[in-house]
Amino acid sequence: MNHRHLLPNEIDLLVDGEAGFGVAPLRAHIQECPECRERLEDARVVVEALEALPHFAPDSRLADRVMAQVPVFVPAHVAARDTVRRWLPQSAAARIAALAVAGASAFTLTVGMIWLALQGDAVVFVTGLLGDRIRTAVTSAARDLAVALLGDAALSALQGLGAIGASLLLLAFLLGAVGTIAGIRRLAVASRRA
Amino acid sequence: MPRALDLANLPDADVVALALEGREAAHRELIRRYERPVFSLVFRMVRDRELAEDLTQDTFVKVLSHLDRYRSDFKFSSWLFKIANNVAIDHLRRRQLDTVSMHGSPNAVTVEAQESTRFDVADSAENALEEMQAKELGSAIERAIARLRPEYRSCIMLRHVEGRSYEEIASTLDLPLGTVKTYIHRARHELRRALEHTRE
Repeated sequence: MNHRHLLPNEIDLLVDGEAGFGVAPLRAHIQECPECRERLEDARVVVEALEALPHFAPDSRLADRVMAQVPVFVPAHVAARDTVRRWLPQSAAARIAALAVAGASAFTLTVGMIWLALQGDAVVFVTGLLGDRIRTAVTSAARDLAVALLGDAALSALQGLGAIGASLLLLAFLLGAVGTIAGIRRLAVASRRA
Repeated sequence: MPRALDLANLPDADVVALALEGREAAHRELIRRYERPVFSLVFRMVRDRELAEDLTQDTFVKVLSHLDRYRSDFKFSSWLFKIANNVAIDHLRRRQLDTVSMHGSPNAVTVEAQESTRFDVADSAENALEEMQAKELGSAIERAIARLRPEYRSCIMLRHVEGRSYEEIASTLDLPLGTVKTYIHRARHELRRALEHTRE
């Protein structure tokens, strides 16, 4: 038997369950030395008591109190990503289907635009024809309205004034309208004060 | 966004990443995981429940407000315990409470308050005698821990209550490995001496 008793740090090595080349002689000594065995047992009792210590529970409102003081904000890139995700289907199959539909739509639109670009002359002709028809319809409707409001004679006189005369007449009409509105408003304010 | 149940199964680093994305549920999950260990450590350091609640709250506010400073190559729990320990030690230094009364909180002014701030440790022994001995040992160990120096107390709590390795404790407390081993050795020695009477 090794007559040297174990040093305190050697007892600690055994308590901590260390393994290795240097530990085997210590274990052998423990087998043969009742005093060191008792010291080791005392150390183990302390460690077991420590390891049995419970965790204490804080107040149940701790999390609420902490979060009341912690600023939580969503970074811009996360908010954008979340917005996109809200529109995406959840399941993989639905996402594949959505991707297929989007791809087909994009393909169809692209082909259509290319075809239209290749039919340039026809596009110009159709656009011009439509434009003429719309212009004719608007002009006709405006003339009918003017006749209904002013009568044939007045309309003829207006046409005789030309563009400048018509603009002056329109300006006079607008000034008259604004003046009328302002006058009515003043009367309303004056009557409230009274 | 992972559901609450899913958050519980994620490792700390993933939950921290979600918290950095502004998920309040992730912040709360981190609190849920560590409120008891942190509170226990702080409570055993300062021995005052109300104070420990405040210091625990301060710890979590500091940690969660500065999550962007957390480095993923470091364990989150080690970082959290480091801050908790610093908060407790700073308080003790300010209040010069290196030794604490074994009879309850020093702030307790009534008998009821003193009783409520003493430790009553639950046990799981099989018969009445063992139950009494376990209870006595449990309370004795708590009183003995209270008499340790704060540095020894931190090390012994992290080693045996939180199950940290020596290297983790050294990293958490910013101490050399040798110093941690010395502190734990001395703490065990003092606790052994304090518990000698319970072994008779």
